[in-house]
Amino acid sequence: MGVNLSSMRRLRKRLPLSRQVPRLPPSRVSSMASASAPKCNSHTSENEPVKSTSQDGVNCDLNETVPRLPGETLITDKEVIYICPFNGPIKGRVYITNYRLYLRSLETDSTLIFDVPLGVISRIEKMGGATSRGENSYGLDITCKDMRNLRFALKQEGHSRRDMFEILTRYAFPLAHSLPLFAFLNEEKFNVDGWMVYNPVEEYRRQGLPNHQWRITFINKCYELCETYPALLVVPYRASDDDLRRVAAFRSRNRIPVLSWIHPENKMVIVRCSQPLVGMSGKRNKDDEKYLDVIRETNRQLSKLTIYDARPSVNAVANKATGGGYESDDAYHNAELFFLDIHNIHVMRESLKKVKDIVYPNVEESHWLSSLESTHWLEHIKLVLTGAIQVADKVSSGKSSVLVHCSDGWDRTAQLTSLAMLMLDSFYRSIEGFEILVQKEWISFGHKFASRIGHGDKNHADADRSPIFLQFVDCVWQMSKQFPTAFEFNERFLITILDHLYSCRFGTFLLNCESAREKQKVTERTVSLWSLINSNKEKFKNPFYTKEINRVLYPVASMRHLELWVNYYIRWNPRIKQQQPNAVEQRYMELLALRDDYIKRLEELQLANSSKVSSASTSPSSPSQMMPHVQTHF
Amino acid sequence: MGERWDGPKPLIGFIVGNEQTDDQISAEPKIKKLEPVLLPGEIVVNEVNFVRKCIATDTSQYDLWGKLICSNFKISFITDDPMPLQKFHYRNLLLGEHDVPLTCIEQIVTVNDHKRKQKVLGPNQKLKFNPTELIIYCKDFRIVRFRFDESGPESAKKVCLAIAHYSQPTDLQLLFAFEYVGKKYHNSASNMNGVPCESGGGGVSGPGAGSSQKTPLFETYSDWDREVKRTGASGWRVCSVNEGYMVSTCLPEYFVVPSSLADQDLKIFSHSFVGRRIPLWCWSHSNGSALVRMALIKDVLQQRKIDQRICNAITKSHPQRSDVYKSDLDKTLPNIQEIQAAFVKLKQLCVNEPFEETEEKWLSSLESTRWLEYVRAFLKHSAELVYMLESKHLSVVLQEEEGRDLSCSVASLVQVMLDPYFRTITGFQSLIQKEWVMSGYQFLDRCNHLKRSEKESPLFLLFLDATWQLLEQYPAAFEFSETYLAVLYDSTRISLFGTFLFNSPHQRVKQSTEFAISKNIQLGDEKGLKFPSVWDWSLQFTARERALFHNPVYIGKSTPCLQSSSMKSFRRTKKSYSSTLRAVPSSFRNGVLSDPELLPRRNSLVLKPKPDPQQQADGRGGDAEQYFRDWFSRPCDLHGVILPRLSAAHIKLWKLCYFRWVPEAQISLGGFITAFRKLSLLADEVDALSRTLRQQRGGALDAGCAEPAQSRMYFRAGGPQAHAAGTPEFLSSSFPFSPVGNLCRRSILGTPLSKFLSGAKIWLSTETLANED
Repeated sequence: MGVNLSSMRRLRKRLPLSRQVPRLPPSRVSSMASASAPKCNSHTSENEPVKSTSQDGVNCDLNETVPRLPGETLITDKEVIYICPFNGPIKGRVYITNYRLYLRSLETDSTLIFDVPLGVISRIEKMGGATSRGENSYGLDITCKDMRNLRFALKQEGHSRRDMFEILTRYAFPLAHSLPLFAFLNEEKFNVDGWMVYNPVEEYRRQGLPNHQWRITFINKCYELCETYPALLVVPYRASDDDLRRVAAFRSRNRIPVLSWIHPENKMVIVRCSQPLVGMSGKRNKDDEKYLDVIRETNRQLSKLTIYDARPSVNAVANKATGGGYESDDAYHNAELFFLDIHNIHVMRESLKKVKDIVYPNVEESHWLSSLESTHWLEHIKLVLTGAIQVADKVSSGKSSVLVHCSDGWDRTAQLTSLAMLMLDSFYRSIEGFEILVQKEWISFGHKFASRIGHGDKNHADADRSPIFLQFVDCVWQMSKQFPTAFEFNERFLITILDHLYSCRFGTFLLNCESAREKQKVTERTVSLWSLINSNKEKFKNPFYTKEINRVLYPVASMRHLELWVNYYIRWNPRIKQQQPNAVEQRYMELLALRDDYIKRLEELQLANSSKVSSASTSPSSPSQMMPHVQTHF
Repeated sequence: MGERWDGPKPLIGFIVGNEQTDDQISAEPKIKKLEPVLLPGEIVVNEVNFVRKCIATDTSQYDLWGKLICSNFKISFITDDPMPLQKFHYRNLLLGEHDVPLTCIEQIVTVNDHKRKQKVLGPNQKLKFNPTELIIYCKDFRIVRFRFDESGPESAKKVCLAIAHYSQPTDLQLLFAFEYVGKKYHNSASNMNGVPCESGGGGVSGPGAGSSQKTPLFETYSDWDREVKRTGASGWRVCSVNEGYMVSTCLPEYFVVPSSLADQDLKIFSHSFVGRRIPLWCWSHSNGSALVRMALIKDVLQQRKIDQRICNAITKSHPQRSDVYKSDLDKTLPNIQEIQAAFVKLKQLCVNEPFEETEEKWLSSLESTRWLEYVRAFLKHSAELVYMLESKHLSVVLQEEEGRDLSCSVASLVQVMLDPYFRTITGFQSLIQKEWVMSGYQFLDRCNHLKRSEKESPLFLLFLDATWQLLEQYPAAFEFSETYLAVLYDSTRISLFGTFLFNSPHQRVKQSTEFAISKNIQLGDEKGLKFPSVWDWSLQFTARERALFHNPVYIGKSTPCLQSSSMKSFRRTKKSYSSTLRAVPSSFRNGVLSDPELLPRRNSLVLKPKPDPQQQADGRGGDAEQYFRDWFSRPCDLHGVILPRLSAAHIKLWKLCYFRWVPEAQISLGGFITAFRKLSLLADEVDALSRTLRQQRGGALDAGCAEPAQSRMYFRAGGPQAHAAGTPEFLSSSFPFSPVGNLCRRSILGTPLSKFLSGAKIWLSTETLANED
């Protein structure tokens, strides 16, 4: 911050205030000035590189006006008026690089700075025309993917709006202009390589695989069996590769049932796949039926295989019309199917839109709770969590193995398997474990990040976009609220992941599936988000974390406990922003430091005393007698 | 409680019926002696055997067998069966785990499921059927259910009628506290349980807590005098005009008034005020602004004149002769009936309605109770008054018809926000004494101890809830924990303490003197009987359990903090006044003072009815807004003013208080308590280290004054499972309370998914039963 402030002052000297800008009424100015200090935080995402120059490898040279990453180049800068929804118009200068939009206020007392990766931009619109009248009615309106909008007023003369519009469009939507995403230009170096975090063979080995019942197959090595699956799959030992090929023919997009997780003791498994291609005529496939039975038998239990179809039953039925469907009772005697009533990507997208409507720019104060209810966002969260709890409970209680699918098995299925795994396996609650979980269940199994987020794509209204991954992270946050000591990571970790879900600074979330990533050589040509996080882990640690092995976490999926994630969804509103960092966490850190300090002093004292004591006779309060009271954690 | 009162003959052998094969209870007859534990003065009025206490509605497998008794203090279920599934019990020394104090009973419902009849039992009512079932709805949100399938039908009926009768007494003196304290006085000669309990203040907290000072009760001149000195209020004096309650029966005997008003004036003025309630001083800011509460002037002709006189006097008492700002609470805040209605709805929603069915519309239902809206309105209004006192340097007068309801809440909240002393345990208790107990908050009526329901209103709970919101937002600013607040709320329902039993201090004196005379108790010089004070927490909890009252996050003034690399203990020199309040930035202070136009004029100050409380803080133009913005933009000084964040997204439901008895809402092995525990362990370790360090430093010199190595934390670093990796089994979001034993609507042992079972036999069908008469 200090850097920013001082360079700002210099900047102000260089850039005299423009006379054309209408002066604000005095009261406005003063209120802005006073409110400006927290503003700069509120507009700069916590995790943006501005503040942490050294660790993040951001080059913030004092002579530079804008922080720059290696590989980042300044394209243009413009004087604008930022129409702050909270404090009114603020005169500033905006800098556009091939990675970010950076704004600095030019007001005398205001230190507003914000730093927005172009990747978060969803839509850029011109507002006002040549005939526009009235103050600040001519400019650009930018819709972001992270729950905010930015509005700039520009001068009508000099084509400044046209320039800015074109440059922004070009760099925010590089794919539409045959330009590479910034991740491919980013030359950041970290001392940890995040791409090394996930190694499927190692992860399966950690789960005790392969074993007598389950084998690792390379049948999809060249993505020939299934284009959207990873190269490495775990399948029942008794199913041959030919069996797999025949099953693939009966599963939507060839996404066959494969193992996601196995219980270390009871050997119940979570298996994921896509819907069976039953169609209107109710087609059956003996191989698929047999394959599911083979899965059921892997743990030598006679109970039925439980199938969780994530969809509402109506949707599952409707899918028959397009060739899909679900496992019927008469075809699959040894399976029991339940619908989990989780809605599709379109419903989720609309729901989040409604959330934005009630939190940005202003929080709907008068009927907050009923407005929140009418977005249905928490209800969806509840259904996803409830589904995951059911999966986890079936497996952990040893009742039966579980097969999870939705339609294509890359949205709701990923949510359910990953959340259930998070509940069942404490390993995934560590920082690296969580990274592996995301890498495995989401990235490698083909959650279509590119389509759902629309990286570098200008088609704002694309029906493929949907906040499925955000919803998953929200569920994780809900769990961390209910179990404050169970996760190694903190809220900042989750928010950082979400910020870079959009930023396009890292390769982690780019493209739709592993085969596409391999084609583009993403791991060679881009940096992993986990490099940033793992090279500075302390920042992302939850001080209350208590490592517990073999504890299953069952959150209470009730509206009584689910909360809107204010620190994420309403973080741009300076009035809502909660204390940062969390006072309880902060106190804990202080106490830790205090303890270390005391221990150090005690040791020093003892050293000093022991030299004295050695000459004198024993004293009643000799250090050796006192020390047994001292407890240390580690 | 040590010595057992000469109770009824212990029970005959108790045989478990072996017809209950589905209950998985050993069919072998067991013989047990089931005796109630009774307090001095407590007598059993009725009892019934072979009662089943229901634990879940969809199965009887966890039900407990035992004896149900009704005493003049509580209903008690005595059983030898261990409580199923309960991993932890927070023991109250006065009450067993199945006990409900009579004053905590809200409603008694008897059911006969064969005849399909039910009846809500009032006092002195007849019951035409033999109940097969008894459901007790408690004021603290619990619901307990008993079945009499195996008990004598007549005795079951008698117990139900006895409970109905004794829980709805017609006279204040029938409340157990009288019997108890009378017995204590009688026994003081025979020295059974020591002398009559000392006047209240009681050790607040465990040893080593550094707050062993007693809670000032404000019954004496000197308590008020000390408070005046502590706040540095000049221009104010303690007056004794009400000694012997000669002026008003709803004011304390001693209170504080502007020095410029003579006793004679006060006496004259008093006639014009509702309840003869002369304006009471509450507190003074270091800038000299005072907080005053005042009843309405009923005398219309005199109104203007007296009002002027009072305001002038308050202005005179201000070192800068600052003006007075009047806040008409009746026009600004919801009234007591509205608050009661909100509370009834909240309770209905939280505990009475089926859990699953309320899920879908939970948020809008919660909103429509309006409880959170009211909590917010109180916080918001109090914060605006903080602005007046702190920033505008105005003295604030709270106006309310009688000045003994909303004023209690607002006056208390303003002081909690402004003065860090009131965020300590002793300070908070003294605040409750000062603004509630002594100022005539009508606990008897508002808590409805005598079940005359029309005057009931949960204002005190609303205040505790608002305090909780502040605690939630500023966890390091309070010495106490949310457990403390919840336990305090529960304590209003135990009719043993004098603290929350009366409508005014005068009522205590009058009623107990009458009682003493009728019982031949010699009072000597005492003004009425000395009831035990709720602040004597040792009556309810052991020192170890009281440790849960302590907030490990609290940063008190003497809390050691780490400053740069060197550790300093910020033990400030003791001043008679809380020094941090003076730390208002001077520029800020001057800035406001130098702007005379901002000061409202005298006599034009009565507040207009306020805009919708839901609007953001723009109440008094941009200034207040500006003040709040400035305040929030600065780092918070925990030893200074704290202001609530008031956006709807910030006002939350106090889950511990309202959900603790709801099994479905319990997060086992989770909840904030798990982090609380980690903090406690660390804080405890730091305490131990600091003690060791001090002892070593002091060497032989201080050896004598070495403190006992007792921890102030409940969870201790040296404890048995402290460093074992896991979270202790008994922790849950309800901790230290446990919903086990409270009726729930599904099998508790079920998997987390077990669906709500509609098979619940009687519970669900009661609504369809015919209501007798």
